[in-house]
Amino acid sequence: MTAGLTASARIGAATAPMLAFDSVVKRYGATEALSGITFQVNRGEVVCLIGPSGSGKSTLLRCANALETIEGGRVVFDGIDLQDKQSDVRKLRQRMGMVFQNFELFPHLTVLRNVAIGPLTVLGMARGAAETRAAELLRKVGLVEKAGQHPAALSGGQQQRVAIARALAMQPDVMLFDEPTSALDPETVGEVLSVMKALADEGMTMVVVTHEMDFAKRVADWIVVFDRGRVIEQGPPRQIFEQPTVPRTREFLSHLGWHGEALTGTGPLVDRPVREQERSPS
Amino acid sequence: MTLDWSSVWDNRDRLLAGAGMTVVLTAATMALALPGGLLLAFLRLSPYRAVRGAATSFVEFFRATPLILQIYWVFYVMPAAFDVRLSEFATALLGLSLNVSAFNSETFRAGILSIRAGQWNAGLALGMTKLQVMREIVLPQAVMRVLPALASTWVSLFKDTSLVSIIAVADLSYVALKIRSETYRILEVLTAMAVLYCVMGYPQAKLADWVHRKLKVAE
Repeated sequence: MTAGLTASARIGAATAPMLAFDSVVKRYGATEALSGITFQVNRGEVVCLIGPSGSGKSTLLRCANALETIEGGRVVFDGIDLQDKQSDVRKLRQRMGMVFQNFELFPHLTVLRNVAIGPLTVLGMARGAAETRAAELLRKVGLVEKAGQHPAALSGGQQQRVAIARALAMQPDVMLFDEPTSALDPETVGEVLSVMKALADEGMTMVVVTHEMDFAKRVADWIVVFDRGRVIEQGPPRQIFEQPTVPRTREFLSHLGWHGEALTGTGPLVDRPVREQERSPS
Repeated sequence: MTLDWSSVWDNRDRLLAGAGMTVVLTAATMALALPGGLLLAFLRLSPYRAVRGAATSFVEFFRATPLILQIYWVFYVMPAAFDVRLSEFATALLGLSLNVSAFNSETFRAGILSIRAGQWNAGLALGMTKLQVMREIVLPQAVMRVLPALASTWVSLFKDTSLVSIIAVADLSYVALKIRSETYRILEVLTAMAVLYCVMGYPQAKLADWVHRKLKVAE
């Protein structure tokens, strides 16, 4: 385990972790989707979960805010055990923003109402205040001029930026991203990654399930590599991308066309070349 | 064969009153059967097996038996078995509402189940209660989706109200058939009845078609 060696260098390592997974087990009937997942997310850190499709990354993310129940282990958010019967899961979810692969905007509401609905219904905020907050966030993601439209009128990239604004409207302590660019046309991937990068630069704690290795390499503080429901390796990006210690990690990265390139890229994320999508494991 | 339209013209007030009753009965039935159907749909989606089972039995009973039997049942059996005595109008309204509620519940249930799980997750992830997700996110979309089906049910209901004439509710059918038996002018009276139903029903059917088309585009 390499985590112990480098943990002292991690961002936010001095304080208690924002989110900690301790031997998390998830089963669907007889199949074990997660077989004892352990890692932590510190305050202000961007942690990227990478690995082949079906390796459990997205499942783990849904366990983080209890959209999935777990059969073993613990998920601890800001010192509170989600499995504890005393925990108010709903209160905890309000502090965790989630962004989905398929956006999951509410098609019957305008863009503005999509962003305002959390504060309106969950926080009981007055409509005026909620919509002011929503408009500010739409400005932040560059879509304030779309406020009155319905999601169907927006491109995929725009919809995902609205979804990010919707999650931010609850002023969460951590943002969970579940393959936020996987359903996008290649030309709109960059605009979503830029918004995420800006969020990371502001110090937002983020957990990102992604196949965007450029993003993981340049924005993540910590990489967790999943394979078949297990964490096979974790560490800072430099270590994972330049000197992976586990053969499966090397195999996975080379599958994506990654051959131990040095972390020298400096160009803007928007202009990065479109990388080949992960092939299905065969 | 000579036609004598006076049998219709002389009874025009009664026929129009009957037509009015048909419209009132249709509107009143739907006004009860929309919330009734929604309630039954929620019960059928309940996490409790007993609640689900009871609601399902209720719905299947009304879907599997003829409406005419249900109206007779409410009219004859309810007073005898439960000592509940209602006016003819209330009896007709109750019978029709129970029947249409059962059909509407299937429509609402299908609409609710057609909303994908991701929409639920998006609402729950914001910290909403299940009730809030249902009210703010799932139900508005489900209702939009099933409006065409509800419009079809409305048009069927408008015509099915004619069955209440068997328990002497003075709707259009009852009045027309009564005039027929008084005047023996079968052809004239039935033609007038057909024209009245058609004049009222056609715009409703057209409106239902329009709702169909309109919402198909929006999907």
